[in-house]
Amino acid sequence: MVKKIIKRTLGVAALAYAGLFCVFYFDLDGKLLYYVVEPFMKNHFDNMERRDPHTVPYEMIDTEYMGKKN
Amino acid sequence: MRDLKHLIYFEDLLQEANNELVRKGKEDGNLCLGYTCYFMPEVLLDLPGCFSVRLRAPKCTSPDMASYYMSGRTCHYGRSLLERALEGGFNFIDAQLATETCTVTCRFQEHLDYMDGVINNATFKTEFTDVPFKKNANSIDHYRKQLQIHVLDFLNREFGVDTSDEAILKAIEINNEVNDVVRAIGDFRKLDNPPITGYEFSVINLVSMVCPKYLIIDKLKETLEELKTREPDDKPGYKIKVLLAGSENDDPDFIKLIESCGALVVADRHCYGSLEARQHINIEEGDDPLTAVAKHYLLTSQCARFMEQQEMRHRKKVIADYAKEYQADGIIVESNKFCEYWSFERMIDTIVLPRDFGYPVCSIEKEYINTASGQLRTRFQAFVESVELKKIQEGK
Amino acid sequence: MKKPDFSKLKDLDVKKAAKDFVYGKPHGERRLGDLYIPKTGLYKHREWRGIKDTMYYFNNIWLYNYGMIVRDIMVYGGGPKGLIQFLKGTWRYRWMGQTYLTVMHWFDRCLEGMRGETLAASAWHFRGIVSACLYQITGWFNRDITIGGDPELRAKTIGTDETVWGGVIYPYMDQGGYYLPTQMIPYFVTCHCNNHTVLNYIDAVQAYGLPGDPCPMCQAEAGLYIEDDIPDSYVAMVTTNEACDSSVGTSVIQDWMMNKPLFAMPQVMQFDDDSVLENCAKEIEMAWRFIEEQTGMEFHWDELVKHIKLQNQQNQFEREKWDVAANTHSYPINGVAQALYRIFYSQYGERPFWHEMDAKVRKIMEKCVNEDINTFPMTRHRVIAWSCAPLYYSAWCTWAYNCWGLNTIINMDSLMFDLDIRTDTYENCLLDIAKYHEWAPMRRMAVGGLQHIFELWENMEKFNCDMVMMYDQLQCKGMQGVVGLFEDEFRARNIHAIWMPHALPDKRTVPRAEIRRIINDYMSTVMGEEPLDPSLLDFDDSDSW
Repeated sequence: MVKKIIKRTLGVAALAYAGLFCVFYFDLDGKLLYYVVEPFMKNHFDNMERRDPHTVPYEMIDTEYMGKKN
Repeated sequence: MRDLKHLIYFEDLLQEANNELVRKGKEDGNLCLGYTCYFMPEVLLDLPGCFSVRLRAPKCTSPDMASYYMSGRTCHYGRSLLERALEGGFNFIDAQLATETCTVTCRFQEHLDYMDGVINNATFKTEFTDVPFKKNANSIDHYRKQLQIHVLDFLNREFGVDTSDEAILKAIEINNEVNDVVRAIGDFRKLDNPPITGYEFSVINLVSMVCPKYLIIDKLKETLEELKTREPDDKPGYKIKVLLAGSENDDPDFIKLIESCGALVVADRHCYGSLEARQHINIEEGDDPLTAVAKHYLLTSQCARFMEQQEMRHRKKVIADYAKEYQADGIIVESNKFCEYWSFERMIDTIVLPRDFGYPVCSIEKEYINTASGQLRTRFQAFVESVELKKIQEGK
Repeated sequence: MKKPDFSKLKDLDVKKAAKDFVYGKPHGERRLGDLYIPKTGLYKHREWRGIKDTMYYFNNIWLYNYGMIVRDIMVYGGGPKGLIQFLKGTWRYRWMGQTYLTVMHWFDRCLEGMRGETLAASAWHFRGIVSACLYQITGWFNRDITIGGDPELRAKTIGTDETVWGGVIYPYMDQGGYYLPTQMIPYFVTCHCNNHTVLNYIDAVQAYGLPGDPCPMCQAEAGLYIEDDIPDSYVAMVTTNEACDSSVGTSVIQDWMMNKPLFAMPQVMQFDDDSVLENCAKEIEMAWRFIEEQTGMEFHWDELVKHIKLQNQQNQFEREKWDVAANTHSYPINGVAQALYRIFYSQYGERPFWHEMDAKVRKIMEKCVNEDINTFPMTRHRVIAWSCAPLYYSAWCTWAYNCWGLNTIINMDSLMFDLDIRTDTYENCLLDIAKYHEWAPMRRMAVGGLQHIFELWENMEKFNCDMVMMYDQLQCKGMQGVVGLFEDEFRARNIHAIWMPHALPDKRTVPRAEIRRIINDYMSTVMGEEPLDPSLLDFDDSDSW
């Protein structure tokens, strides 16, 4: 039983390792990121609501920097 | 308005750096000391036996040789100065009192230092002074120390110039005389209908920077007297009044261009302008003359290189306050192409001045010598029309 | 159905193929350019480097780094909460979510063609950089109150301008003091890793009214603020004028858009003049007082000394590396790894992960020296790279070695911070810190005085270089202002120099293909040489990361 579990675990690990090697060798991680993830994220960021910089106040201050304790 | 008596004479003095009065000053046995930036106190270059010349390169539209050395991607002003130097146009200066206050003028001055014989003058030397980015006590101490070492000690050591307190006081006195006269002339621009144009004032102000003061002061005083009785035209030849802010401009024709579009330039808050450069130098109690000079040049400047939080914010208000004081209807913010300080500052002014201070702004990028006047003319005309329309709508 | 073409198999040299499989193809036969998918920079398949190096790359670089990235997020982020913050930040900030996920491709580009010890040592440098990035990224997100970060952490965090040295926070690190250089991670490193993102920030600030000619690096920095993409992770800001006029301009944007207490700690321009040091030292002291006022922390001298001593160790090791680079053929670090690692740790300041990497690299380097391993055996020219490098093509040195045998031994930025800071007295320490600041990146030898720019000649000699790669940053006013003098000097000294035009982060101004074309032209027409790998002469990577 234990032998079987070890065998199966090693088998799964070997398969996973081989699978990962395929991902590595054929640059599947790069392809996924380039063709799927990045366009998706870009679309998300392009459509994100952002603060209008024109509305950011620019107040005058009377010390060297804001809140300076004189 | 009738013509100013000395205007043509003044204009002639601006046609070349080595003008008639500079030659006369040298014939009188004085040292001629060149500089480019406000942070090199002209008063210290006007010590007895010396006179200052703020360098210009009039009519330099195509700085080809300088573009080899500094590429075509640097400020046209810095390149034009180098071009003029390479042409031999600055051989009359005996020393260049340099500052690293903006990159390209620094590079220009480094070329003077590095390239053998670019200034064909056996006595010629270049000396750099460090200028702080802040206005605190540490900065004033630092600046004072730098002026002592790199201006006074340098002039004394290399040329035997008298740099005593008495000599500095004398120079302050001469400078204040010029400052007061030019400022008084400039104050006419505050009137409802000024008896002087921006172009005329620009010529007068520039002349005061590029000639030995003792040779020009009389004509400046005469001009001041003349203005007291000069009658402006009943029907003004302009539609709006503007303040000109921004980077380096020593080209009166640029102001003439603005005025030809119907905007009278009543205030000049730009590099080579008068609003800071022609303030009276005061000596506070307890200060020696050099400290007074250091304080004056550091504290009066509104240069875009100052970095304290308060200063970065406050200088927008200074422009707006000047606009109010000089009754300007709008503000033209200009920056020389490739001027990095003013590229950023202009962008911010263009948003903050209308939004927070209510002044319409015309934001333009220009060259040192503006040959592309057609495009600029269109921009200015549109700006004048829009401000005029606004005034009509407001019932002014 | 088309029949498979077995004719090529007839010509197959089985012995040679087996040898190539086991050991990898020799340099001249690799045809690395054939591996690319046009435009994308992706690989049809990653390079086969022989069994040993391929498996090293797969196990010790690719798998290991993916694993360590997760580990770093958990460790630096402080456990599961850190992971959640990391995910929130990834979703909120473009510079994270669109950029750093592609990190392993950055390794690929920079390590192409590397073998053995060179592959290992260079990869360790990259591992150090990635670790430092994650340390900061988790630092940003854990403190960002707009995404639920911890206000208490934020209260002891100072944001800084790009060139404020990380040592400014040393005296407070034992009290939780934290330093966030506001452009390093959101902008600077992104350009190397994935240069797509930065273009958004450049466009944003130009749309806001900035002309296109100021330094594009500063444009991008300003764009981050305009785009509201700087996390609210710090309580106050220390800014500086270094390295150039544009950096002063960005300070105004930093102030306006963040609206926080901001202390300007400008450095002097004429830094060779000893009379200026006192001014700098006082400004640094004032910055410390500012930090104390804003965070409530106290100045701990012992803590400062501790970190400076550790930093000095790093600098001393750097000199050892230079010695090997200059005088042997056994220096195992490629040009891009050397440059990025050096500038990163010198600017960011001493942290444990740097020492860990240095120990690993030392071991490899010692082995190379002891065994007299020729680490770059196809070197035809020893190159010194001068001025500011193209951020979107820092991997050019890897390409240039693979294609032409141009081995970049050292670069200007690496040489800037060559200073051991004294810790014998407070006064000496402060003066050296001032000097260190004055020699900020891009300052001392780029936009600093001419005499420093021309330190090129002595460094060429010191590092035994016979060629200069002269970076020509088209929008750097300081360097553009001296191009003619360089030309004159190159001619007078009879030096082979290739001018490499670029626009720091913006590949649209000078594409990478154009950079390669210029080098190709010089090497073939002026030097009269043949490429080592002709497949790398011309390929389309216009849309790549």
